[in-house]
Amino acid sequence: MNLVQLTRHDHAGLRIDPVRAAAAAATVHMVPLVLGEIRKLAPHFPIVLAKDGETGQFYPAALLGLEPHENLFWTGETFDAAQVPLNLLRLPFFIGDGAICIDADSPAITPDGPCAIVESDGSDSAYLRSIQAILSDLAGQQEATRRFVDALVARRLVVELTLDVAFANGAKAKLSGLYGIDEQALARDPAIMADFGDVLTPAAMVFSLDHIASLVRRKNTRLAAEAQWFGKPA
Amino acid sequence: MPREINSVCIVGGGSAGWLTAGLIAARHGGPGGLKITLVESVRLGIIGVGEGTWPTMRHTLHKIGISETDFIRACSASFKQGAKFAGWQTGAADDFYYHPLVLPEGFPDLDLAPYWQAAGEGPNTPSFSDAVCFQEFLCENNLAPKLITSPEYAGIANYAYHLDAVRLGELLHAHCVDKLGVEHIDDDIIAVERSENGDIRAVVGQRNGAIEADLFVDCSGFSSLLLGQTLGVPFCDRSDILFIDRALAVQVPYPDADCPIVSHTVSTAQRHGWIWDIGLQHRRGVGYVYSSRHVGTDRVEEELARYVGAGFDRLESREIKIHSGHREIFWKNNCVAVGLAAGFLEPLEASALVLVELSADYIATAMPATRAGMDIVARRFNTMTRYRWDRVIEFLKLHYVLSERQDSAFWRDNRDPASIPDDLRDQLELWRHAPPGEHDFTSAHEMFPAASYQYVLYGMGFRMDDAALARRVRQPDAARDGFERTARMKQKLGATMPTNRALLGKLAEYRFQPI
Repeated sequence: MNLVQLTRHDHAGLRIDPVRAAAAAATVHMVPLVLGEIRKLAPHFPIVLAKDGETGQFYPAALLGLEPHENLFWTGETFDAAQVPLNLLRLPFFIGDGAICIDADSPAITPDGPCAIVESDGSDSAYLRSIQAILSDLAGQQEATRRFVDALVARRLVVELTLDVAFANGAKAKLSGLYGIDEQALARDPAIMADFGDVLTPAAMVFSLDHIASLVRRKNTRLAAEAQWFGKPA
Repeated sequence: MPREINSVCIVGGGSAGWLTAGLIAARHGGPGGLKITLVESVRLGIIGVGEGTWPTMRHTLHKIGISETDFIRACSASFKQGAKFAGWQTGAADDFYYHPLVLPEGFPDLDLAPYWQAAGEGPNTPSFSDAVCFQEFLCENNLAPKLITSPEYAGIANYAYHLDAVRLGELLHAHCVDKLGVEHIDDDIIAVERSENGDIRAVVGQRNGAIEADLFVDCSGFSSLLLGQTLGVPFCDRSDILFIDRALAVQVPYPDADCPIVSHTVSTAQRHGWIWDIGLQHRRGVGYVYSSRHVGTDRVEEELARYVGAGFDRLESREIKIHSGHREIFWKNNCVAVGLAAGFLEPLEASALVLVELSADYIATAMPATRAGMDIVARRFNTMTRYRWDRVIEFLKLHYVLSERQDSAFWRDNRDPASIPDDLRDQLELWRHAPPGEHDFTSAHEMFPAASYQYVLYGMGFRMDDAALARRVRQPDAARDGFERTARMKQKLGATMPTNRALLGKLAEYRFQPI
């Protein structure tokens, strides 16, 4: 990773292939989310809470793999999901010190990339404008996301998840450090959240955990493919 | 119609008073509960010497309802992972051992002590505490027992705290009054009124007049105003076993803002006693405890100055008298004493606050519903609490009995058989042939686990006889695995744990989560 501030002077001629940008997340098993996208993503990924290793504070995240460094949605070429979290869509761009930065080492920077940063008339490209919109959305929702998570913790709606999963080849995985919504606590007193909309998001997180099974299925498919590759029976 | 217990009055507002108020109020306060009042003379002030806790304090604060982050911030607290005893066995420069808070690997199912001894000792073999437990490694490297991602009151390694006792009193005061509905009265008590049956009917404040209650908790400190002075319960002097009767304490600033915060209590033996060294966030607390029968204050001040080093002249030292001992009983009529009013011993192994916690917790849990029931609870409390004092006294004495120091009468007198309690002598006889185990400690109210005795015994050079040893090394594979697990834990934690100071710095900005 080599973050540099995006400038018209240095980067006007840059071309990007957004599909390859997600390669940066090929070995990422969790993507942080903002509040507004939780309900949209819950039908596609398990949505959990995890703790930031530096600050200890909870953040919502989409689970992409069943062990660290495993992304079961990355096929090697594309991110195979109907909805993509904003933190993947923004790649290879970042926010640093309030300015837009780009990972100068990203494989998405390629002369044959379909997307330009700057149009021939000198204006920002539609692609860049969409990236700007995503980045400002991510920054703009940070405070609301933090308040949402704080409310869940303060109302004791957060519980540690213990996930013991077994795969078709007999291997097992035990995930730790993941937290979810206490379904019983929420059911006991839905009025604990300020309004109906505030209840829907944690409820969506509860249902989203069904997708752990989809992750196991993806992993089994991957294990079977690997077994075939190595010529062993699956 | 039995007389109900509806009100509790705690007399005294130090750590003992407020911890007791907090534990009782958390269980019995609020609407429809007991009326809980704490009377103290703010003018009198508090002793505030207790700066080291046991891991029990985590549970206590959690019960009272204080968040760990708030506690650590308010009390300048730091993490304590046990004690390092330097110079206790021989006084040589490399003489030290640890009493960590984590049990030996596999204990009690697996007992590594005989295997460790059987492996023999040489210049490159690890000490007992280092061989069987990873915590000494954390301590020696100033590493914290937990991460910023660890939940409140939970850790990777077992831990207690170093804290500023005055600030703890202030924090508990605010919490008890604001959150738990404890009524606080600042007054000077000028008289105590009795009932016909000998009970305390009321304490009389200079400004508030009579303050009545069904149960009085005496947390008045050394003066033992209610239990000792009013009810006349005699003091049981134990200085025939534990000679320490004075402390000379100073507060030492850190040389710079980045210097390590040591995550264990350092107890360094001196010619006439020992020096405690406790690292808080903003300063160290250091004190020389000694026996005034064996040495004068001048000599002690000299040795303390040498220990503290440059800048000692500018520090204000404070002398504290210690009467080693406790009341003959602790609960009489409708009055129970907690804290210094019940008794006090030298601060070795930080037994003061834990005895407060255990006593207050029992009072809260077993709170009698009626005056008739109180006599039954009092009898049980007295038996249990006396047992606890006896065990603490024996465990403290053990540190002296095992010493080989010859450099003063203080150390030699400590090994005089006449000063050693019979129960301790019995244990030592058995431990010559077998390591301390659960079977040696059968009460539900034990203070120190068998593992603690192992750490002190084998840290101070006590060994089992060879014949006994040969019969106790029957699972060499399991033992090897145990030693290897300890070594692996050191490697793993060495790579992941932050320093004590780094974690405390982070806590100034971020909070531990409740889960």
